[in-house]
Amino acid sequence: MAVKTKKHGPARRKSPSKKSARKKPGLLRRLFRPLMLLVGLGIGLSVPWVIWLDMQVRDEFEGRIWDVPSRVYARPLSLYSGKSISRDALMVELKAAGYRQLKQAIEPGSFSANANSFDIHRRAFQFDDGAEPSTRFRLVMRGDVIDSFDSDQKAGTAGLVRLDPAEIASIYPLHDEDRTLVVLQDVPELLVTGLQAVEDRKFKDHHGIAFRSIARAFVANLKAGKAVQGGSTLTQQLVKNYFLSSERTLTRKANEAIMAVLLELHYDKAQILEAYINEIYLGQQGQHAIHGFGRASEFYFDRSLQELEPQQIALLVGMVRGASMYNPRRNPQRSLQRRDRVLDIFELTGLMSAAEVKQAKSRPLGVTGQPRSGGSRYPAFLELVRQQLKRDYRASDLSSEGLRIFTTLAPSDQEYAQQAVSAGLDDLAQRGLPADLQSALVLADVTSGEIRALVGDRVAGRGGFNRALNARRQVGSVIKPLVYLTALEHADDYNLITPVMDEPISLRQPDGSVWSPANYDHKSRGEIPLMDALVHSYNQATVQVGLNVGTVNLIRKIRQLGVETEIQAVPATLLGAVELTPIEVAQMYQSLAAGGYSAPLRSVTAVLTSHGELLGRYPLRLMPLDRRDAVALVNFALTQVVEQGTAKNLHGLLGIDVRVAGKTGTTNERRDSWFVGYTRDLVAVTWVGRDDNRPAGVTGSNAAMRVWAGLFRHLPMEPVDLRMPDGAGFTWVDPAQQALTDPSCAGAVQLPFIEGSEPQMRTSCLEKMDRKNRKSLWRKWFDGKD
Amino acid sequence: MAKIRLLGVLALLTLAACSSAPAPVEDREVNARVRAPASEDKAGVQVYSLQNPAVKQLTAQAEVAEHAGDFDEASGYIERALRIQPRDPQLLQHMAEINLQKKDYQQALNFAVKSYETGPRVGEICSRNWRTISVAREHLQDPGGASEAEARASQCMNTRPKGL
Repeated sequence: MAVKTKKHGPARRKSPSKKSARKKPGLLRRLFRPLMLLVGLGIGLSVPWVIWLDMQVRDEFEGRIWDVPSRVYARPLSLYSGKSISRDALMVELKAAGYRQLKQAIEPGSFSANANSFDIHRRAFQFDDGAEPSTRFRLVMRGDVIDSFDSDQKAGTAGLVRLDPAEIASIYPLHDEDRTLVVLQDVPELLVTGLQAVEDRKFKDHHGIAFRSIARAFVANLKAGKAVQGGSTLTQQLVKNYFLSSERTLTRKANEAIMAVLLELHYDKAQILEAYINEIYLGQQGQHAIHGFGRASEFYFDRSLQELEPQQIALLVGMVRGASMYNPRRNPQRSLQRRDRVLDIFELTGLMSAAEVKQAKSRPLGVTGQPRSGGSRYPAFLELVRQQLKRDYRASDLSSEGLRIFTTLAPSDQEYAQQAVSAGLDDLAQRGLPADLQSALVLADVTSGEIRALVGDRVAGRGGFNRALNARRQVGSVIKPLVYLTALEHADDYNLITPVMDEPISLRQPDGSVWSPANYDHKSRGEIPLMDALVHSYNQATVQVGLNVGTVNLIRKIRQLGVETEIQAVPATLLGAVELTPIEVAQMYQSLAAGGYSAPLRSVTAVLTSHGELLGRYPLRLMPLDRRDAVALVNFALTQVVEQGTAKNLHGLLGIDVRVAGKTGTTNERRDSWFVGYTRDLVAVTWVGRDDNRPAGVTGSNAAMRVWAGLFRHLPMEPVDLRMPDGAGFTWVDPAQQALTDPSCAGAVQLPFIEGSEPQMRTSCLEKMDRKNRKSLWRKWFDGKD
Repeated sequence: MAKIRLLGVLALLTLAACSSAPAPVEDREVNARVRAPASEDKAGVQVYSLQNPAVKQLTAQAEVAEHAGDFDEASGYIERALRIQPRDPQLLQHMAEINLQKKDYQQALNFAVKSYETGPRVGEICSRNWRTISVAREHLQDPGGASEAEARASQCMNTRPKGL
């Protein structure tokens, strides 16, 4: 509008000029018209130009900035007296949640630690079920258990504190863009002030361009005879980043300046600074540019922006001037000089004390050797989160801005899981297995089905092929418990000691070929109790049982346990010639581990809008299978796999003798190694093999079970609960005689039976014991009369 | 505990003033048909699980919410408690009773069954398990199952625990 009045200015002055028109016009007067025409033309052209620039820059700014990403949170860690957690795991959790270790936990988001106690100052946080204020609490550990707990929360709520959860990623649920955006209030103060100190000290006051800085830079450059100083404000730099071009022309500079002024007209300083922090170019990784301090912080230091130390902030601030020239990985010396120069400026401008700067300068660059590829530390888990969000929520809901997504990830479990895979495979290579093995791991909470950790690659943080979700491999013997579960549901025909035949068998396949499965050691055992066939994973006996119950029924059972993949009903299915992904295997075993209470495996617990409105939450629901009695029998048998069967080395690997249930799996020519194991509270699946499916020399117990043990060594282990459901119970039997017996008799074992499926016969020893007991009862009776 | 009870009473008094107050807890089906009759059976053997202080706290918070008729909030607290002690029969039964009040009879039934399976299978809790199962089955149009459950409830005081 202001431009318009100017335009009218000269026109109004035309009338007095008419009066003097008769006088002889001077040169100036003669040039006036063409000059005005030029000015008019200039203005006439520049107005649309400016409007066009305005549209351009606003489009860019709003297109990127108002697209607030969704924040993804890990599960909040609950702390209370009696909680099992190692000191190490608690440290990992605190660090993941961005807690700083101080001498005293004076401010929210900090903690102090002694040998066996922690003082933690929890931040205020909006949980998915309500806001909680900041609070300070103290806990004392005894071993790996929280022994005492004391918080300053109001009475009645003092015994339990949830840590505000780690923010594990910022995502756009509907796109696969890989950025780590930050909001201004989460940016460390030193970065906000330091950027201004180094790049644009007048940022607070100028209107997009700073003429003085430009003049100063101009003089400096003139003196030096080359460009040594830039006069661009942060706003100009931001504009420049939007339209990245190496062109250094005056027109481009002018455009940038105009756009900078326009940006300042439309948006406030905080918005511009936030955009800058998320946009500025800070490096290159192959094809992908590293934009923004959040992403750069992960790329160079493998930590979140909030976790950076002063010298690391200085390093990044210094890189603004030339991300390639000061690249700490490629030019460490130059980068170090630049960092120290920036630290000097921090000191000069009073942002850091001399002592702090001295200390910061003494520190190394601190960049990691190999940058991680993904934006997040947890690319595998996040892929699952995206999948499940798209499956369970409306696209229109997911496209809204700034969602808060609460997930089930346990950062400490995830760290141990990744370590178990990475270090585990290195260890296998040392033991003579191929060096190019790959692996996947799924860890879930037994009761809720919540995924606590997911590993899809042996390299931590590497994105790409996510084996936990996408590697479809033959499962081998891991299928067997389902064969026996299907059999045991027919309690009239089968119990754990039913004799089954382990003998050579030949079957004609649908394609006409003959299939003759052999046992692992190429021996046949003849008649054996059913449980032994499962515990020692005998193929021939399993095929006999499986053919008897029917392959179709086995497939029905697998479906019932939550696996939706199409499975062929051929005899080889009975021995696991079925391709499943690790997460499908985990789903199958969750139901067993939970005693027949199925829970779909999930990674998302709740999604809230930016206004705190609940878009969806999965409440705890129980989905019981009908035949939990048969499930309980299989559970018992799987504890025997670990006690005396194919997984009997597990206790040695764990270094602890606790009741665990498990099953190994190996496929033909040792291509795949599987282990599924569970405690009372946690179930985990591990797979090891080669990506190209070549023979890998692996077996269930020599590879995957080692990785599994490598994880569980770090986790609290509660023994598997062997309580029988209604309609089943433990009974003393003698399997060899197929008869009930007395605990004191030779050959007696206590095994679970579905009521009515117990043997009918009684051992002679039991008869004898009964007679004796009856006698003593008489005596008691008589004694009582005395 | 006393404080919590007082809070509960206060909450009730406050809510009594509102026109949309929930039915007083004494009048609710869960009380009339599950809790009150089960507590009369308290005479026999009683086995209760040892509860963690954090679980007790969450249970108390759930009770306050339940008295006020906010069953979603109440189940939220019990869910959190179940994360701490996933197999606690009292928590599972509490969840069953909240579901009964929410009229989610299938879940009420499932939680009560699981509570029975993980619980002592005797005494008051056992009686509450079977009474809940009975009420739920009745609402789920299974009168035969309901009366069978009713009969099981009466055995809770004299049956030797099974499957131990």
